[in-house]
Amino acid sequence: MPVFWLVLILLALAVAGYFIGRIRAVNSVGGDSRVLHSLPVYYGASAAISVLVPAMGLLAIWLLAQPILVERSVSGMIPSSLIPDGANLNLVMADVRRVAEGLNVAVQQGAISNEQARTLRAETSDIRAVLGQVGVALGQEVRPEVLRAAQSYRNLSASGALAMTVTVLALAMVGLGVSIRISHGQFRARNVVERVILLLLMAAASLAILTTIGIVFSMLFESINFFRLHSVSDFFFGATWAPNFRGDSDLSILPLLWGTLYISFIALLVAVPIGLFAAIFLSEYAGPKTRAIAKPLLEILAGIPTIVYGLFALLTVGPLLVSLFGQSGTLGVNWMSGATSVLTAGAVMGIMLVPFVSSLSDDIINAVPQSIRDGSLGLGATPSETIRNVVIPAALPGIVGAILLAASRAIGETMIVVMGAGAIAKFSLSPFDSMTTITTRIVSQLTGDGDFSSPETLVAFALGLTLFVLTLGLNVLALVIVRKYREQYE
Amino acid sequence: MFDAQRPGDTVDQKETKISARNVQVYYGDTHAIKDVNVDIESKSVTAFIGPSGCGKSTFLRCINRMNDTIDICRVQGDILLDGEDIYDKKVDPVQLRAKVGMVFQKPNPFPKSIYDNVAYGPRIHGLARSRADLDVIVEKSLRRGAIWDEVKDRLHAPGTGLSGGQQQRLCIARAVATEPEVLLMDEPCSALDPIATAQVEELIDELRNQYSVVIVTHSMQQAARVSQKTAFFHLGNLVEYGDTSQIFTNPKDERTESYITGRIG
Repeated sequence: MPVFWLVLILLALAVAGYFIGRIRAVNSVGGDSRVLHSLPVYYGASAAISVLVPAMGLLAIWLLAQPILVERSVSGMIPSSLIPDGANLNLVMADVRRVAEGLNVAVQQGAISNEQARTLRAETSDIRAVLGQVGVALGQEVRPEVLRAAQSYRNLSASGALAMTVTVLALAMVGLGVSIRISHGQFRARNVVERVILLLLMAAASLAILTTIGIVFSMLFESINFFRLHSVSDFFFGATWAPNFRGDSDLSILPLLWGTLYISFIALLVAVPIGLFAAIFLSEYAGPKTRAIAKPLLEILAGIPTIVYGLFALLTVGPLLVSLFGQSGTLGVNWMSGATSVLTAGAVMGIMLVPFVSSLSDDIINAVPQSIRDGSLGLGATPSETIRNVVIPAALPGIVGAILLAASRAIGETMIVVMGAGAIAKFSLSPFDSMTTITTRIVSQLTGDGDFSSPETLVAFALGLTLFVLTLGLNVLALVIVRKYREQYE
Repeated sequence: MFDAQRPGDTVDQKETKISARNVQVYYGDTHAIKDVNVDIESKSVTAFIGPSGCGKSTFLRCINRMNDTIDICRVQGDILLDGEDIYDKKVDPVQLRAKVGMVFQKPNPFPKSIYDNVAYGPRIHGLARSRADLDVIVEKSLRRGAIWDEVKDRLHAPGTGLSGGQQQRLCIARAVATEPEVLLMDEPCSALDPIATAQVEELIDELRNQYSVVIVTHSMQQAARVSQKTAFFHLGNLVEYGDTSQIFTNPKDERTESYITGRIG
């Protein structure tokens, strides 16, 4: 039975459980629902939960575990002589799975009977042709061992699926029975339902955290693989980035880190003054009407996809800068040779960060108590003096936090630098030079035909991990500062 | 030391410092102050009393044009300070506020050091010629605020670290540092405990020697203790204005009598 139907049956049972539980609870107190411990709806919900949750949980675990167990038992059937040089068991197992799925398709379409699928022998029939007829193309002739493994795979999967269906349905019925038994007036159904909701919320929260931990570990393992092949000191302290897919590459993070920090610095140089001034205008000077229009407009900037900013950098800002600073440009200085440069990417990224800085700073400036402004105005300070001498100093820790958050976004930004900054990894002080960043190198190392176990590819994980640690550090610092600031006024 | 007893102190108590004529205040469509006429004397303490929402704080904030910072607030009529209309177009509200200081209901020291809090006004208005000059102004103001002895050893500690009563006296010291002529106090003791309240009241009584003090208060005992003149506001009207002793012992208007005996409020 397909899983889809199984889930539908479980849902139907849960709905049935809901009504039975509810009716039984009301009947147990003679139809007077005021006597019940909880509202009738809680009895229904707790019955539905006890049908659904254990059965669904078992279903999920079974679906995850069965392929692993089946594969483990089937892989024993593959002789090591069958594994070609340079490949591993996984490739052969992929063949096995493909043949097994092909047989399933063939049976479904009626090309062969279920009995034939079980007993076919590679020695006697042309499996490749049979499967080809039903649209499953195989790259090579099916070897007898693979076919036998595939048949065994099918059998085990089918019997596993049957066992799963029976067990899950049985568990659902048990849940239904138990819930019906306990649905009487004194049962604290509301507490049970709320406990389950609490667990659901906790599961959601821990899933987010577990995902982060999972990401860190996957990066960590691949980074360790990389450092087995490449020296740690060269990665962190070497001066050259020159990947070479024939091997023997210079893979040092420093030139990339320099590009990343330089571009982020220019981005902040653009974003911080504009964002901060915008925030001051919006929070201190703008009337309610201006604010109601200007603030959402500014925040729309944050909703523009970064690839669009990238296009803007490549097609508008870059050529504009070249026409100013390039050869035969307006300024006649010939500093800039191409449209891609640190300045191009930095300026556009700065524009992207403006709403980020302004929105956070605006909230922080608004959080400064009005009484402090009144105190300053009451002493004969102008609004501008009040902002400079009282409001901004009071809001400064929070503003610094906002800037650090913006910085960590700038460091992690990819699309704008891919399109606006160029691809040359080098140390240079000139903002008109083309440079590259950690993020763009991760993209370029992972795309293309690289061997996944070569240091040239694995370096992407080490780069990613470094980037992660960098932005994590900045975010933690920013949060600590912002939190400390909040305590001051609450 | 502050020069408490000056020659002019006892001679002329009757000079009018502020006079309001037909003052109307609107918040949007709400008519908050209705036709108020009042003459406030120099070198005395005038108390505004009345139930919540009667407009006494609103009227107080008209005297240094703090209501200008509220968009929907409109003021009509004349308020004269030393015979000059403060709502005249020629008057810069910022300059006016340096002359008419204000102390707020909740102590609101800036998140700066005690010294910088007091030096804030003199620095903005350029009152000190030198660093030493500023030190003198700060010390004098803190002494006038009756808080010098408590903070002289920690002038560079943050002002927000003081107790509530100390903070309020710091705010008074901050207000007198710009040498104002009038000091407006909007329920300065409502956030303080009885001991701190007594200290601030004592301070107000001393400030009377040099400034016109206008104080809004919810406590009738406080009004009776610190003020020479009392104005009773009710529903936006100035109901009765006169000597404090007369208002509290022999009110002319029955609304005043009801309020001070606790029947309305």
